[in-house]
Amino acid sequence: MIKNRKFSTSLFVGLCLLFQYLPIIVMVIFSFNSAKSLSNFKGFSFYWYEELFKNNELMSAVFVSVSIAIIATLVSTILGTITAIGLSKSKKIVRQIVLQLNQLPILNPEIVTAISLMLFFAAFKVDKGYMTMLFAHIAFCTPFVITNVLPKVRRLDPNLSDAAMDLGATPFQALTKVILPQIKPAIFTGALLAFTMSFDDFIISYFVTGNGVQNISIAVYNMSKRINPSINALSAIVVFVILGVLALSYIVPAIVKKKTTSKVRKRTARIVIALSCLALVIGIAVRESNKPVLRVFNWGEYVDKSVIKAFEKEYDCKVVYETFDSNESMYTKYTGGNKYDILVPSDYMIERLIKEERIQKLDWSLITNRDSLDTSIMNQPFDPNNEYWAPYFYGNVGIVYDKTKVDEADLGQGFEILRNQKYKGNIYMYDSVRDSFTVALKALGYSMNSDNDAEIQEAYQWLANQKETMAPVYGGDEIIDSMKNSEKAMAIMYSGDAAAIMAENENMDFYLPTEGTNVWFDGFVITNECQEVTLAHEFINYMISDENALLNTLEVGYLTSNKHASAIAKEEDFEGNSAYGIRTDLTGNDEVFTYQDNALKEKYAILWTKIISQ
Amino acid sequence: MKKLIQLKNLTKEYGGQVVLKGINLDIHENEFLTLLGPSGCGKTTTLRIIGGFEEKSGGDVLFDDVDISSLPPYKREINTVFQKYALFPHMNVFQNIAFGLNLKKIDHSIVEQKVTKTLKLVGLSGFEKRAIDQLSGGQQQRVAIARALINEPKVLLLDEPLGALDLKLRKEMQLELKKIQKEVGITFIYVTHDQEEALTMSDTIVIMNDGMIQQIGSPTDIYNEPENRFVAQFIGDSNIVEGVMLKDYLVKFDGQEFDCVDYGFDDNEEVDVVLRPEDLDIVELGQGKMSGEVETIIFKGVHYEITVRCENRHYLIHTTDYVEVGKKVDLNFYPEDIHVMYKMGTY
Repeated sequence: MIKNRKFSTSLFVGLCLLFQYLPIIVMVIFSFNSAKSLSNFKGFSFYWYEELFKNNELMSAVFVSVSIAIIATLVSTILGTITAIGLSKSKKIVRQIVLQLNQLPILNPEIVTAISLMLFFAAFKVDKGYMTMLFAHIAFCTPFVITNVLPKVRRLDPNLSDAAMDLGATPFQALTKVILPQIKPAIFTGALLAFTMSFDDFIISYFVTGNGVQNISIAVYNMSKRINPSINALSAIVVFVILGVLALSYIVPAIVKKKTTSKVRKRTARIVIALSCLALVIGIAVRESNKPVLRVFNWGEYVDKSVIKAFEKEYDCKVVYETFDSNESMYTKYTGGNKYDILVPSDYMIERLIKEERIQKLDWSLITNRDSLDTSIMNQPFDPNNEYWAPYFYGNVGIVYDKTKVDEADLGQGFEILRNQKYKGNIYMYDSVRDSFTVALKALGYSMNSDNDAEIQEAYQWLANQKETMAPVYGGDEIIDSMKNSEKAMAIMYSGDAAAIMAENENMDFYLPTEGTNVWFDGFVITNECQEVTLAHEFINYMISDENALLNTLEVGYLTSNKHASAIAKEEDFEGNSAYGIRTDLTGNDEVFTYQDNALKEKYAILWTKIISQ
Repeated sequence: MKKLIQLKNLTKEYGGQVVLKGINLDIHENEFLTLLGPSGCGKTTTLRIIGGFEEKSGGDVLFDDVDISSLPPYKREINTVFQKYALFPHMNVFQNIAFGLNLKKIDHSIVEQKVTKTLKLVGLSGFEKRAIDQLSGGQQQRVAIARALINEPKVLLLDEPLGALDLKLRKEMQLELKKIQKEVGITFIYVTHDQEEALTMSDTIVIMNDGMIQQIGSPTDIYNEPENRFVAQFIGDSNIVEGVMLKDYLVKFDGQEFDCVDYGFDDNEEVDVVLRPEDLDIVELGQGKMSGEVETIIFKGVHYEITVRCENRHYLIHTTDYVEVGKKVDLNFYPEDIHVMYKMGTY
């Protein structure tokens, strides 16, 4: 019996540890993967570590995270400790009120803190960036320090500081020589907590930052469109650093106990202070620059960064480059008070921005590279004279399929192939309202922008039936990686992503159903409050030049609006890649998304939720 | 002896509550002075004002005839032994004791010498490297005293320093403290609520109650000639009887007139009369001044504690002779055993 119980205890502990550590081990292993895949280990290499250190965006994010964490920890520890000591001496009622007020930010959902800070900065017209993020971090870290330190201070003998002063210590000496050494462990725990909270904070940072300043979490979030395994490398480094620190914390005290002299301690204190001052100075210096500034808000992983650097050099300006992951989050941040000069929205969002008069007309005379653009895609219904936007990338939504698993003959069924019983349990769908309803509406021969109730209901039935009979897997961008590894027979896919898959897996092909599909456009627009209008036009012109459009399309994998660049790309990197191309048969069955009003959007959303949650 | 500290009409209020109602006290060089009183009487507050840890509300604190009320504690030539010692737990014995000297940046070899000397004084030689939590209560006590004394203060304040020790250790430390005080030859101001402790050690006892001084005097004065009912009750067990001073040397209580040695009261003034239990004798019926019946008898080791029920009240008697419960006896006492006091409030 007892043996049995022992066994089950250790089994349980073992499982717990396994559950905690296995993901970390997997991540560390994959950081050494020689291929880009997140799920298929091809061989050992340091490639992603090299990439990490070459990636300016990530490295500056690391710098922001580390420097903010250090400064915020330092400031909040000092603030919190002083507050705790002060509180311990104040009247009970004052202490209790302050303590309750102190608990509130801790218990408050982070999103509430985030939004209130965002509104606060917006209300006082504070320019968002490094300093706002730092301020916010100090604000949310301090309560943790107070909560940690106060109980320890209260347990101290109240006569200790009196005793020190009695023996000739000034109040400051009493604090540093007697009180602080006693509460040191609590201060240390508080500081550690503050550092962790600050270092991996996402929500609050996301809402209070601006001007292109991003920490690691924000950078990773914006990359999630196509996860870059450099992230694994970065995370692995963080894990190693933490392991190192932990190991040190076990080894060092044993050594130090024997040798510590106050000199050593003083020296370490000086080093810590010097380092944090340095971090502060650099942190402030980061945002110092008097060159003209262009604030660009683009999709994550949607540019060749070297092009931006080259533009900055050529035009002697600073490009503050921020990224978003969906049209909606772009819209929220932009309308929430963040200032940008150039946005890169999609078709229906451009339509909305025009309707709401948030963007200005382009001066096409400044965009001399217009002649290289594929003019057939311009003058779309949402902007008939193409006054507001300059095309960047475009594409379709189609089906990427595994040639070894899918019978070519079945492709004739169009989108109905997604209800073909042969492929039951073998398909991916996008967990996205509009993309999924596009499939159903097109399969039924309707417009994907339908606002007809009967048609929408019919499409709903189609999707519900598909879920029941086909057991599809609904996913996000992770589908891209799964398809690279041939995990299922087919998937709904954006053409640019499909091109990337086909470049890595030769068994894959791309199919555009004949009953029509979505054609989408992403383009540059200039906001109303743009300060550097000429520079903004120059930027757009630069991005779509033959040379730079080629660099961008090769990096991103989507079809560029520059016809010369796309021709070269088709002949070289994307030779025979049917997904790197487009069918813009807009007179026929292909369509562009139109902006949906709230009522219609909600109608679709409710039906989609019903399908997903059934 | 020279006056070292003078408190003049010292008052203290905490949020509208008056805790010191005008303290006038002279403390002399070399004196072992005890502030004695029940908790809440203001004795610790008085001590903390002298030490500089509390601000007075009114009055003066003079040290060597100079007003020190605005000096912070670290600028006063006074050191304190705190309740529960307030030793610094993150330092060892040596570091604790050397704390004050190190702050003054005194040369290390001198510090070492002085610590050794002071440790010897308090009987803890060889304990330099010990951690504070490895010491017993009595040893911690000695470290606290050494830590204060090494600074060679003119006055040492002691705030109920023996409160946390057990009875036997407390008695040892009482003698030890007295010895140390004589050796270093400085003024000790000692706060306690334990009257026996006060009687054992003090040169002067200051009895306090309710923010006021009740009596100042030597232990014998205080014990034998309590000035009022409070002092009499607080110092030792007492039989306190209401009476009337008929005239000098004649007092009336319990319906009888007695000769006494007290004088200077108004004729027919109402007074309190103290009869110490050890001054009363139990004698055969008819041979004493008052009759009664033995009600209880408790063995106390050295003596018996007996209550005798008389006509008007119970009397408490300490005697070494055994008497049976229920026995009818007489109580006897002499004129010098009667202590007549002013009524409370008229002092």
